[in-house]
Amino acid sequence: MKKFYIIVFTLMALLAMPFGCKDIGSSENLFPLTPANVDANAGTWKTILLTSANQISIPDPAVTTQQATYLTELEAIKDAQSKLTADQKRTIEYWSVGGVLRWNQLFRKLVAQFNLPPVPNVDGSYPFPDSENPFSNPQFPFANPPYAARAYSYVHVAMYDALLAAWYYKNLYKSSRPDSPYEVDNAIQSLMPKVDLPPYPSEEATMSGAVSEMLKVLFPTAVEEITKLAADQRNAVKWAGKATDTDIAAGLALGKAVATLITANSTGTFTLSGASGAKTINLSLTLASRGRFRTDNLGAAVGSAASWKALADAAIAKGETPWISLEVPPRPPMLPGFGTVKVWGDPGGATPKADNITPVLIIASERPVAPPSTTSEEMKRQLAEVKSYAKNVTRSQISIVHKWADGAGTYTPPGHWNDIAEEYIRDAKFSEVRAARAFALLNMAFHNAAVGCWETKYFYFNPRPGQLDGSIKTTTGVPNFPAYTSGHSTISAAAAAVLSYLFPQNTHYFNDQAKEASNSRLYGAIHFRADIEMGFSHGSKIGSYTVNFAQTDGAN
Amino acid sequence: MRPTFVFIILFLLASRASAQTITDHLMMPKKDFCTGFLYTYERWKDYWEGAQKRDNQNIGTLITSQIMWVGNYGLTNKINLIAMVPYVKTSATAGTLAGMEGIQDLTLAIKYALVKKEISSGTFTAFGILSGSTPLTNYTPDYLPLSIGMASTTVSPRLTATYKLASGWYALASAAYVWRSNVSLDRPSYFTDGNIYFTNQVWMPNQFAGFYSLGYNKNALQVEFNLTQQNTLGGGDIRKQDMPFVSNRMNSMRLGVLGMYYLPKPKNLALRAHVSYTLNGLNVGQSMAVMGGFLYTFHFVKNDNQ
Repeated sequence: MKKFYIIVFTLMALLAMPFGCKDIGSSENLFPLTPANVDANAGTWKTILLTSANQISIPDPAVTTQQATYLTELEAIKDAQSKLTADQKRTIEYWSVGGVLRWNQLFRKLVAQFNLPPVPNVDGSYPFPDSENPFSNPQFPFANPPYAARAYSYVHVAMYDALLAAWYYKNLYKSSRPDSPYEVDNAIQSLMPKVDLPPYPSEEATMSGAVSEMLKVLFPTAVEEITKLAADQRNAVKWAGKATDTDIAAGLALGKAVATLITANSTGTFTLSGASGAKTINLSLTLASRGRFRTDNLGAAVGSAASWKALADAAIAKGETPWISLEVPPRPPMLPGFGTVKVWGDPGGATPKADNITPVLIIASERPVAPPSTTSEEMKRQLAEVKSYAKNVTRSQISIVHKWADGAGTYTPPGHWNDIAEEYIRDAKFSEVRAARAFALLNMAFHNAAVGCWETKYFYFNPRPGQLDGSIKTTTGVPNFPAYTSGHSTISAAAAAVLSYLFPQNTHYFNDQAKEASNSRLYGAIHFRADIEMGFSHGSKIGSYTVNFAQTDGAN
Repeated sequence: MRPTFVFIILFLLASRASAQTITDHLMMPKKDFCTGFLYTYERWKDYWEGAQKRDNQNIGTLITSQIMWVGNYGLTNKINLIAMVPYVKTSATAGTLAGMEGIQDLTLAIKYALVKKEISSGTFTAFGILSGSTPLTNYTPDYLPLSIGMASTTVSPRLTATYKLASGWYALASAAYVWRSNVSLDRPSYFTDGNIYFTNQVWMPNQFAGFYSLGYNKNALQVEFNLTQQNTLGGGDIRKQDMPFVSNRMNSMRLGVLGMYYLPKPKNLALRAHVSYTLNGLNVGQSMAVMGGFLYTFHFVKNDNQ
């Protein structure tokens, strides 16, 4: 009998073993991309910040690369393919899912990594992230939702404009360089899905240059990681037999030039180098003004103690209770000047219009009407509603609150909607350029929604429910900025507008998800009904501007 | 093999709790059933953010109270079956976050006296314990530090060795390996340990659980000093100014004092108290916990020794 029990014990221990190797399922949601349509004419689509797809000129490969050099480049590919390591094969596989989808994922990771607020100083004040001192405490940046919305839009616009230019030149030089290396030389294998496009300039190299240069500016402490990923992407296409050093060097220089056009902090003539293997291509770019990224007024977004006080005084002057921070010690409001940051479609005031987006969007004209006064009966009623959610919240409502919380340490609400969009873009098998367009449209709408929402928040400077009734406890953190209107609602409604345009058969689903995201803020007891309802209609309206542009950009 | 035994084994799921009955040197004799309720009040103000100790004015003091039902049945003199179910309630004295409460995890364990040997003036006993735990309710683990538990199903084999002198003094060492199942979050993505994951599934690092005690147990009295060790074998640190995450590398070493006393009257009723304090840790609160309760033993067969 005793032996029997020992056997049972051993068996049970063995049964427990599977717990030792519990795969969470690869977190990989992407598959190798074979586009449904290569969008060969995308070079004719409307650019966003480039004046035109050929604003930055790149040379004809037939002129810069002699036949002998080209043959050497093919030999280099064969040589690389003959000794591919397992790691290199994994790199090829990693990037074969489509660079646009992959970079979008990597970008979301960086946002989550940098989305942490500064720790208060011992005296109760707060330090601010400093781009000149990014490694210190606090780290730079604090990729909070408005910061992230802006960042997502710039990077995706850079990627999209760069790819539009790449497509333009693929078409322009298609007689000089019609075929990919694996088509030219039978000894070269094709290790990525075949895409029937001229290889010059390489689209992967183009996006690697544009995206990595943008990300390095946004996340200066992650330069090493970003540089390696970008180099990997270029290596992958070379090892895969998809592009030669010349194709890659030209793409890289083109991508860098587009990023420079957006982020240049000075004017003048810039030389952008793209190098791959033995090949270097230099492009020249002359800029009469600093990049839009430097002049969009983000610098004024933090404000000062005096400007924060002025916001409170203005609310008091209107007879309202001004917002105060519910954090201990009280934290300065998040980016109160973000509502003045330039939007996509901004008329640009006296200077020439900053982008090619139509129709023009004037943020202040779209501002929602005032919320119920903090002293009104309606506000009392709405406060009671929030309190009843706080007291009676159900498990399924908590699950909705947490699904959409997207707070500190996450990729933010715009990141969440990029995550949602990823699946649809992947399943539609969009070409790289069309995928880049989808993300550019979506994220321009998010930036505009964030600016519109922030303009509203700081115009009214309205308190959170928990400020008016301290007994209200929340099931997610209370964001450190005014309540009216809800950022989640504004962003999500804009997302539903753009995604419904891109994937009309799923309109119902996107609207349901956006409504759920919006309601989650009421369930979590951090927003009033007025915040989420007005935010939602505001977001739909702002999103419709981007949709109107998309309908006329030549991609349909 | 009794059918009930098989039944209980099948339902035996796991244990991360190092509840005293699982780790101690006591066995219920055959057909004795010891049961009772234990109340624990635990609080912390300081916590370790990674290895950095700090407080947080938006949490204030984190308070966890729990009332746990415990049952221990002597299947034979050498095999005990143990079950525990706690009701847990959390709250924070500052900040805006709401507390949570509810029934947490069921723990079941089989404790088997593997070896019992007289050595010089004492007795050496070794136990093999297989325990398991699983959430009884659909609470969220993704709301730390206010979640009521980790929501992981665990399986944990444990070995305990003890040497007790005839005088009543004893020493005990116990070690367990805790396999922890993945947990599911309500959100589709999360960032931890330097990576982003595009899934709601979280891989939970397994744990080592150690328990070491020195004490005295004779007649109705038991008193001991103990150390409870939890080492999480993997997982990331809480980032600066971030919330804790369910799969964080939560380590702790706690010092405790236990007392148990069987009252002369009513017979079979024991009072039990335990106080413990976190000496050191990673990604956990530095808590003081006070536990008190009673245990009552039913004798289902007439036992002439009593």
